[in-house]
Amino acid sequence: MAERDLPRLGADRKVATKRSQTVSTALVASAGLAAFGLGSLTFVDWSGNVLVYRDATACAAEGIRSAEDCRSAYDIARSAYPSSAPHYQWEVACESHHGNFHCQTDPAAAPTVGRYVPRMAGYVLGRRASDGVTPEPVYEHGGGHGDGHAGYCTGSGGRISTGYGGRASSGMLKSARSSSSAKFGGFGGSGKSFSSFGS
Amino acid sequence: MRRVPIGERPDWRERAKAAGFTFHTFDGAPYWDESHAYAFTLREIEEDIEGPAGELHALCRAFAAQAVEDERILTSLRIPETAWDAVRDSWRRGDPGLYGRLDFSYGGAGPAKLLEYNADTPTALYETAVFQWLWLEESLQDRRLKPGSDQFNAVHERLIERLRSIASTGLTGFAAEAEAPEDLGTAAYLQDCAVQAGCATLLLDLSQIGLRPDGAFCGPDGQPLATLFKLYPWEWAFADPFGAAVAASPTRFLEPPWKMVLSNKGLLAHLWAREPGHPNLLPCFFEDDPACRALGDSYVRKPLLSREGANVEILSDGLRVAGETGPYGAEGFVRQALAALPDFDGRRPLVGAWMVGDEASGLCIRESAGPITGNDALFVPHWIEPE
Repeated sequence: MAERDLPRLGADRKVATKRSQTVSTALVASAGLAAFGLGSLTFVDWSGNVLVYRDATACAAEGIRSAEDCRSAYDIARSAYPSSAPHYQWEVACESHHGNFHCQTDPAAAPTVGRYVPRMAGYVLGRRASDGVTPEPVYEHGGGHGDGHAGYCTGSGGRISTGYGGRASSGMLKSARSSSSAKFGGFGGSGKSFSSFGS
Repeated sequence: MRRVPIGERPDWRERAKAAGFTFHTFDGAPYWDESHAYAFTLREIEEDIEGPAGELHALCRAFAAQAVEDERILTSLRIPETAWDAVRDSWRRGDPGLYGRLDFSYGGAGPAKLLEYNADTPTALYETAVFQWLWLEESLQDRRLKPGSDQFNAVHERLIERLRSIASTGLTGFAAEAEAPEDLGTAAYLQDCAVQAGCATLLLDLSQIGLRPDGAFCGPDGQPLATLFKLYPWEWAFADPFGAAVAASPTRFLEPPWKMVLSNKGLLAHLWAREPGHPNLLPCFFEDDPACRALGDSYVRKPLLSREGANVEILSDGLRVAGETGPYGAEGFVRQALAALPDFDGRRPLVGAWMVGDEASGLCIRESAGPITGNDALFVPHWIEPE
């Protein structure tokens, strides 16, 4: 995990201590959010302009984000892949969502969640660090048995249309499933007369 | 334990900025203060803080196991009946907790006395785990501290470990009130730890939490959250419209609902009844319990539910000698024997011991001018002196 923006202190320490050996922050420091601060992060914009790349090299080659940002965002997405990939009970169900030959088995999956997961096709990150997009893996979104490329999707159901055939980079992130059936605003009301909820 | 005018790093504000620590000053008043710091011996840390914190946490878990099954105890804590199923089920399932902070009155002489357990929504976490740690490392580099100086602070490492071990497949949301920088900073910091633990995460304002027809809580795009961290007290969550959906939801919460039985000053009365005379506990009784006469007319009166010292009063010979105003108290009060915070050069430190999972993992100090630690208390770093 990237830790370049915090001093590399304590890394060589060998003796037993009562404190952490190293402390690094992945999103806050390395993704460039430090300039905005922990207390003023923006939330994910669910229909924003985002960047999608196959890997960190492709990201760095385009030069919109720095090579270091590309690499740390890739590391974050890659480490989230096992826990965030959608799991399917049947290979055919996985392939119908993600296209032929785009699925594999997850040997660590619990039987209840299904063994089949889409391969990680690339990753998404914000155009700027301040966009507040948490980097995450993307998967091919193949309609039916299609050979045709129908864009990408994220593990949380977002759809990304790139509009450039298969060529990754700039894309629009949209939530694929309607949120109209979910209700919002049901938490927070009882605390409205208080300024802060921590203790 | 000593209070030492160690002097601040001349560039600490720039260092804070580089580390993302923006809320070191609130409304023009300082919050982080490193002009001085507290020095401990290793013995004080291990025998007086770390050991007792672990032991008290274990007592609290034993109490929770009994409390969730006993309606009289739930009633005594004013936990509404509508929350009982969620509280009980979360304990029976073994839903894991993430973190908490035990606050002590301690000055280096005699045993630390437990004042309360912030088991549900503790803040000051990032300051403890990251910025206090950086202070120690940089003070060693600058020779401000002697080589071999240490700090009781494995909070960052343990949080990542804990999140890795309790992570479930699926999305984890981190929700806080976006208008409160300290709260949002705490949630964003925990999100950061979760990313390092390999979790898929989402940062949310409380108002962005949704409830789907299938009972799962979700983010703004409607996708279900396997786990939802909420920096929002359970007693308010259960009073909100979504509260009734918690018990049957497949979404697991951090902290889990059973933490309600610990994040309540009534805990202190129950612990004293279970372990009378325990060296780290103070005599404490519910105000409507005739046994509270044992305290006479000198005691501390605390609302069952309150944060940052609000509505706490100190009575001496029946006279109110100190008190903080606030919006709490409707649920009733406990009376606790007074263990005055120690006086160091006219300043009064409160020692907070951080629990991560079931392990005592670090320490923070909040320092105030008066006898009650409020939300204007300074965060002051600490270190362990080499032997």
